Amino acid sequence: MSGSFTSAVKKLFFREAIARAVREEMRQNERVFVLGQDVGAFGGSYREFDGLFAEFGSERVRDMPVAEAAMVGIGVGAAAAGYRPIVSITYMDFMMLGFDPLINYGAKLRYKTGGQLTAPVVVKTTAGAKGQGVAHSQCIEAWMMSVPGLKVVAPSTPADAYGLLKAALREDGPIVYVDHKRLFPVAGEVPFSESFVPIGKANVCREGTDITLITHSYMTRVALDAAKLLESAGISAEVVDLRSLAPLDISTLGASVQKTGTLVTLEEGQVTCGVGVEVIRRLQELLGPFPAERVGALPAPVSSNRVLEEACLPDASRVAAVARKLLEKKQ
Amino acid sequence: MTAEEAKDALRSMMLIRAFEEALAKKPDHGFQLLSTGEEAVAVGICSALSLNDQLLTGGRSIGPALARGCDPRRVMAELLGKSSGTNRGKGGRGHLADPTVGFFGSHAVVAGNISIAAGVALSMQMSRTKSIVTILFGDGAFGAGALHEVLNIAATWKLPLLFVCNNNQLSVSTPRATALAPKNLSDIGLAFGIPSKTVDGMDVNTVAGAAGEAVDWVRSGRGPAFLECMSLRFASHSTTARETRSKAELAEVRTHCPILKQAAALRTAGIVDDMIEAQLNSDVADIIGEAIAFADASEYPDPAEALTDVW
Amino acid sequence: MFYKISVPPVADVEEIRVLEWHGDPGHQFKAGDLVVELETHKAIVEVRAGQDGVLRKVLSDAGNWQQIGLPLAILSDGGTEALPEDLNAIADLAVEFEIT
Repeated sequence: MSGSFTSAVKKLFFREAIARAVREEMRQNERVFVLGQDVGAFGGSYREFDGLFAEFGSERVRDMPVAEAAMVGIGVGAAAAGYRPIVSITYMDFMMLGFDPLINYGAKLRYKTGGQLTAPVVVKTTAGAKGQGVAHSQCIEAWMMSVPGLKVVAPSTPADAYGLLKAALREDGPIVYVDHKRLFPVAGEVPFSESFVPIGKANVCREGTDITLITHSYMTRVALDAAKLLESAGISAEVVDLRSLAPLDISTLGASVQKTGTLVTLEEGQVTCGVGVEVIRRLQELLGPFPAERVGALPAPVSSNRVLEEACLPDASRVAAVARKLLEKKQ
Repeated sequence: MTAEEAKDALRSMMLIRAFEEALAKKPDHGFQLLSTGEEAVAVGICSALSLNDQLLTGGRSIGPALARGCDPRRVMAELLGKSSGTNRGKGGRGHLADPTVGFFGSHAVVAGNISIAAGVALSMQMSRTKSIVTILFGDGAFGAGALHEVLNIAATWKLPLLFVCNNNQLSVSTPRATALAPKNLSDIGLAFGIPSKTVDGMDVNTVAGAAGEAVDWVRSGRGPAFLECMSLRFASHSTTARETRSKAELAEVRTHCPILKQAAALRTAGIVDDMIEAQLNSDVADIIGEAIAFADASEYPDPAEALTDVW
Repeated sequence: MFYKISVPPVADVEEIRVLEWHGDPGHQFKAGDLVVELETHKAIVEVRAGQDGVLRKVLSDAGNWQQIGLPLAILSDGGTEALPEDLNAIADLAVEFEIT
C-alpha cells in the first residue's frame, strides 16, 4: 500500500469485514451470489451477510435447506457454468458432506476436462470449538491442504477476513475460506479503500528473534498471547500467521525460521497429518534440520463440556511451555 | 419425429454401436462402460435438445456423447488416451466433455453429476436464457442421497432441469427390484411435485416423443421434469465386470435391439430400404474408420502434462 | 453526585461500537430511559438509566469503539455542578441493559 489515502483505516467487527467483502464483489460482478442456510433475511448465523439480502434480493442471496452435498454441488456446477458463488457452510464439520462435489468434481474439473472448464467457487466455512460439541467443533483444514486443485485460506483478523475473501472471489478455481467461531467477537482495523490480501502470502504479525511460532486462524491470537508470556521470560518470539494454507508461503516462513532457528507450529486441529507437520517438513526440506515441535488439540473429539473442551484445546501457557522446553533442549 | 429425424436417429444409434464395437476390438481399449442395447435412450433424449442446452451424464458416457454431437474422432482419441482427445487425454470415458456442442460432461462418480447439473441449470435460470440442462443417470444412481436432495431443490426453485433415469434394471450385479423401493422410479417425481413419466427406452421414437414433451415443459420455466426410460443392457456393466445373467437370459435380452427395431419400423414406413440401410452402414463405417485412424495417428500426452491444468 | 456509566459486561463480547446516544449533554434521563445503544458483534445492546440523572459528558461518541467495562459517559444528579478534574474517581452507576 502506498499514499496517505490508502493507509486510512476503519474499525469493523469480523463479520462486518466479511459482509463488506461480499457486498463489494456482488456490486462489481452480478455473477457473484451466496448460497447457504440462514443467509437471506437472517443475514447469516454470525450476521456475516447482514444487509446483502436487502440489497441484492433472494435470487442472489439464497437460503437453502440443510443439504450440504447438493448445496456444494450446485455451487460448483454454477461456477463451472460461469458464475462465482459463495457457498456458506455454517459449521466446518459439515464440509465433509460436500467433499464429493468439491473434491471429486470441483478441484479436478480443470484437469479432468483438459482445461475446458473450471469452477471458481468459494466455500466459506466456520471452524472451531466453542461449547457446541463433538460434531460442531472441528478444524479440518489440514484435510484439504493436500488436494491438488484446491486452495485453502484462513484469516485471523478483520483486515484479512476482508482482504482474503475479496481475493478468493477473484480466483479461477475452487477455494476454501475458513473463519472461526472465536474470531467473530474480534474487531479490528480494515483498510478504508478497496483492497485485497494476496493468496499465498503469510503475515509476520509479531517480530522476534529467538523462536518462530507459525499458526493460523484463531490460534494466531493464542500465539500472540503466548509470545507475551515468553517475553516476560526474556524470550523474543516471532509470530507468523499463515493466512494461506494451500498454497503455503514457504519463502516468508523460511525467512523467519532461518532467522530464529527454532519453530513451534500451532493449530487448533489435530497434529497428526496436520498443518504443522507439513510446514515443518517443507521448511526442513528448504533449510535442513532444525528444532521443531507441533502443538494442536489433544487427540480426542472436542466435547461441549466446558472442562473437557478446555483440556483439549491449546492455550497460551501450553504453547509457551512447549517453546521454552524446545529452546532449553537446544542449549 | 419426422422421417428425416427418424432416419437420423437410426444412423445415430448405428454410429454408437459401431463405435463401441470398434473400441472394444482395440487391445488397449481400457476400462469402458458401453451403451450396447441402450442406444435409443441417448439418441432419443438428444433428439429433443437444442444447440445451447447442456447434457451431463454419469459414467456410461460414450453413447450420450456421440448422440449429443461430440466429434467421434476426438472421443476415440480421448478414450484411447491421446492428447488430441476432447479432454487432452486426461479425463477418459469417465469425464468426457465438450461443452461447445452441449455435452457439459460426464462424471464418473455415481450420482456425482446430479448436483452439478442443478448448478448449471441454476446458472441458466439466473442468466434468463431459454436453455435447459439434462442430467442422465442410471438406476444405480437412484438410491443416492444426491438425487433426492437435488430433486427437492430443483422443484423448489423450478430449475430448468430434466432428470432422465436410464433404468437398465441392473446396477453392476444388483437387480433394481432388490435395491429400489418405488414401483416405477418415476414415482419419485410425485413426492416433489415434478411431472414424471416412465417409457419404453428400447424404442427411440417413444423416447424422442416423451423427451420432447418433457423438454418443452422444462423450457417453459414451469420447473423440472423426470423421465424414466426402461432399457436393457446387452453386455455386462463394464469391460471388466462379470456378467451375472445366464446365456439364455442374455439371448432373450438381445432380441430387443433398438437398432433392429427402428430399422424394421422405418422399413415398414417406407423410409428405409436395402439401399438406404447399406448407405447408412457405409457412412457409419467411414466415420468410425476415420475416428480410429485419427486416434491411432495421435500422440499420447507428454508426461509433463501430468502437472498441467491442475490450478 | 457524579456517576459514570461504562460498557456493561455483555457475555462473549470484547468491545462494542457506540451506535446512538439518546440525549445530548444536558438531557435529563429518568430511571428506565434508554440512554445509549451499543453494537456488539452479535446484537444491539440497549443501555438504560438505573436512576434519574443528567447527562453531562459523553466519553465515547457514536461510531467510536469501547472495551467492556470502560467508561462511556458521565452523569450527575443535578445539571449544574462543575465536572470534577479526575474523571477516574467517579463512581460507577449500575445500568440495566437489554440485548435486542
